[in-house]
Amino acid sequence: MRPFVWIAISLLTTAMAAFGQSTYTPARTADGQPSIEGSWQPRAGGAAYSVLPHAGGFFLGSESKTGIVEGGELPYQPWAAAEVQRLTEHMELDPTGHCHFEGIPHALYFGFEIIQTPKFIAFLHDNMHARRLVYLDGKPHPQGYSAWMGDSRGHWEGNTLVVDVADNNDKSVFDMAGHFHSDALHVVERFTLVDKDTMDYEATFDDSKVFTRPFKMKFQMKKSANPQEPFESDCFGGERDQEHIVNGLANLKDHYYSK
Amino acid sequence: MNVRLFSVAMALLLLPFALTSAFAQTGSSNIADAGKVPRTPEGKPDLQGIWETRNAASFDVGEIAEGHEIPYLPAALEKEQKGPRVDPIIHCMMPGVPRISYMPFPIQILQHPGVVIFMYEYLHDIRYVTTNSRPHLDGIDFAMGDSVGHWDGDTLVVDVTDFNDKTWLDSARHTHSDLLHVVERYTRVGPNTISYEATIEDPKTYSRPWKISMPLHRNTEPDFELRDQECTEGDNGRAIHPPYRERPEGDIFELVRPYPVTKVAK
Repeated sequence: MRPFVWIAISLLTTAMAAFGQSTYTPARTADGQPSIEGSWQPRAGGAAYSVLPHAGGFFLGSESKTGIVEGGELPYQPWAAAEVQRLTEHMELDPTGHCHFEGIPHALYFGFEIIQTPKFIAFLHDNMHARRLVYLDGKPHPQGYSAWMGDSRGHWEGNTLVVDVADNNDKSVFDMAGHFHSDALHVVERFTLVDKDTMDYEATFDDSKVFTRPFKMKFQMKKSANPQEPFESDCFGGERDQEHIVNGLANLKDHYYSK
Repeated sequence: MNVRLFSVAMALLLLPFALTSAFAQTGSSNIADAGKVPRTPEGKPDLQGIWETRNAASFDVGEIAEGHEIPYLPAALEKEQKGPRVDPIIHCMMPGVPRISYMPFPIQILQHPGVVIFMYEYLHDIRYVTTNSRPHLDGIDFAMGDSVGHWDGDTLVVDVTDFNDKTWLDSARHTHSDLLHVVERYTRVGPNTISYEATIEDPKTYSRPWKISMPLHRNTEPDFELRDQECTEGDNGRAIHPPYRERPEGDIFELVRPYPVTKVAK
C-alpha cells in the first residue's frame, strides 16, 4: 500500500512542479511568436461562482474541491475578510449581476478566442462581449487610466506569454462569492501551451491594500476542436428587482459557500 | 498654343472624366488606385487600424442620409412620434447597426483569414464578421443583428439582419422595426480613408431602401490605443463623455444639431 502512496505523491508533485514549465514546442505564427491562437474553453471548475473550494449546485455547475487559488485560501487583511463576509450577505452588489465587465481573471473563466498580431494579442471573450488587447510593444501602462479589464502589456519568455495587468479599477471582482480587490491590484499572468490543445494559466496577484501577501491562481484551458463563431452576448443593468432575485440564492449561501 | 493654355484646355477637356471617376470612386469596387490598396497576407484589402467618423450622425442620422431624407411610411412615422422618447443608449443598450459605425468613438478593425473583427471603443462592442457568406441565423434577434460578410472585389460587404426593434438609428428618435436589413460596404479609398456606405431597408418602417454614406478617417495619432469604455446604468452622459479621453473644446452637446434636420420624405 505504502509504495503506491509515495508514487502517487511523487507523481503529483512532479505534475505540480511541471505546471507552467512545459517542454512542448508550439507552432509559430507568421511573425514567429509561439502560436496560442484558437478558441479556448477554460477548465476553471466553477471559479465564476467561487475561486475557493465550493459545493456545486443548479446555478453553479460543478463543485470544486480545490478551487483555483493555490493553497485554497485568500490571504485577506482582517478588514477585507470582514468585507468579504458582508458582500456574501449582499449578493445584489455583485457587479456581474449588473452587467459589468468581469475583469481579470474573471473573464477567463468562460470561453474566448485568441488572435495574434505582431503588435498585440487579442482576447475576444464570449461573455459580456468583453475583449482585451495585450500589447506587445513594451510600452508602460498608461497613467491615470482605470478600467474593469485593466491595461495589459505582454511579452514572450520562451514559449510562455507573460502579461502584466495594471490600471485595474476597484469594482471588478474575482467571483460571485464576494472575493474582491482594490485598484492597487497588479496581476502577472503566464500562458503556456503544454500540448497543442492544452494551455496552463498561472497568475500572480498582488494587492497590498487588501491582501497580506501575493497569491497565485492556476487552471488549464482546452482548445475547442470545433470552435463556434461567437455570437452577441449582451446584458444591461437597471434590474430594480436585483435584490429580490438574488435573495433567493443568498438564502442558500450557507450551502453554496461551504468549503 | 503655349504650354499653359494647352494644359488648361486639357484640364477642361478631362474634367468630366475626372468628375465621373471621382464619383465612381465613392463606394465602387473599381477604385482608381486599387493596385495601391495595401493587402493582408490573404490578399484582401487591408482595412486594419483605428478609424473614426467626424460627424454628428449619432445625434441625427439625417446628416449622412442621401438627400437628408428618411422615407418613412406614414403609419411608422406616427408610431414613432407616439413612442418612447428616451434614447435606449442612455440605458446602456448596444447602439445597433449602423449606429455603432457613427458613434463618436474610435473603431479598430482586425483581419484574420476568413474573418473581419470590428472592435468598437463604444461599449467595448465587437462584431465578428465571417466572410464566408453563410446563411443568416433563423429565429433569433440581436441588438447588433447577425452580420455576414463577403468580399465584392475590393469592397467588404456586410449583410446585417436578425435585429430586434429596440435600437434607434440616432438620438433624434429615428427608429426601425425588427425587419431592418442593413447592407454595409467598406472600401479603402486611400491610405487614411475608408468609404463607408450602408443601404437601410425595412418594409415595416420605410417606403423604400435608403442610403447613408460617410468617410472613416484613420487615427494617425502615434501610440493611440483603444480603451475600455463601459456604460453604467444611471451614469447618464458618461457613455458620451468617457473620463479617460481629453474633453473636446466647447460643450460636447453642442454637437447636437437643432433637430430634426432630417426631412421626412412624403
